[in-house]
Amino acid sequence: MGTLNHGELTVMCTNLQKACEKQLRSEEAALFGRLATYFSEKTEKPGRQATLQEIGLIIDEEIATLYPEANEQADKAQDRGAKRALLWGEKVTRLHKSFLTRLERNPKLLDETPVWVCESCGFLFVGAAPPAVCPICKVPNIKIHKMEVK
Amino acid sequence: MMFASRNVRLCTKDCICLFVCPTGATDTESGQIDASKCLDGCRLCVDACPGGAIYLVPKNYPKPQPKHEDVVQTLFALAESKVKTRQLANALGDDHRLARKALDFSLEVLAEDCVREGGYMLPQSAAVKEFLNGLKERYREDPAFPIEAVERLRDLL
Repeated sequence: MGTLNHGELTVMCTNLQKACEKQLRSEEAALFGRLATYFSEKTEKPGRQATLQEIGLIIDEEIATLYPEANEQADKAQDRGAKRALLWGEKVTRLHKSFLTRLERNPKLLDETPVWVCESCGFLFVGAAPPAVCPICKVPNIKIHKMEVK
Repeated sequence: MMFASRNVRLCTKDCICLFVCPTGATDTESGQIDASKCLDGCRLCVDACPGGAIYLVPKNYPKPQPKHEDVVQTLFALAESKVKTRQLANALGDDHRLARKALDFSLEVLAEDCVREGGYMLPQSAAVKEFLNGLKERYREDPAFPIEAVERLRDLL
């Protein structure tokens, strides 16, 4: 645990924040939120502009190694929760890859077409309107949010 | 211990809960059920609600299933990779502001799901207590660290 970096500690805390919200524990959720903000502000930044290609390379590595290894261990341990997270996660990761490829080919992809993300599983979708239910986790689209920047 | 709660998104305002509740806990102006009046495990409103909008929130959860060490390790390796990708995605150029935001949000969900299934699903668990104690130890030298938040969480959870 002493080895988690600040980016990892941030998601540890936002995960617990959301878990508290689901149990209607609003005070606890806010406290985890404060911790998440502290770690998020401390999170190391690359200090240079990143490229779509280098993100794609990490994704290739995840699909080639990290997902198969994790799936093997989850299978062996018969861990249904882990298998569920890996199934959804790998599908979303493949969508990230195709999203990056499309962006490379057409950097103006999102100028005309909105992009949406499912808060339950991370499903990422480029299109005029989101599907009625998330194709990955099957949540109704009230949980699929349009991404907007000011 | 279990108390009723209303999912206001599903509530169709049939108000049967007002009729069946023995204490008037469902009769509030906030849209939520008054936990101080709600009877532990009573569930009359849960069973009567035509919209299926009321459910019971346990105060105490069963102990989480033990997690296999290799499962935890491979899930945390993935979480680490997702966090790294997230940092890179946030360092994309300004012509990719919207893509940056979409990837940031999506990768946050993916990384959270890995740590959640890696043994951190339940805030009340022993693993989370250990996590909080570890944070206190690791950051006690930093005056900017919100140590009172950790202590309050230790009391509440």
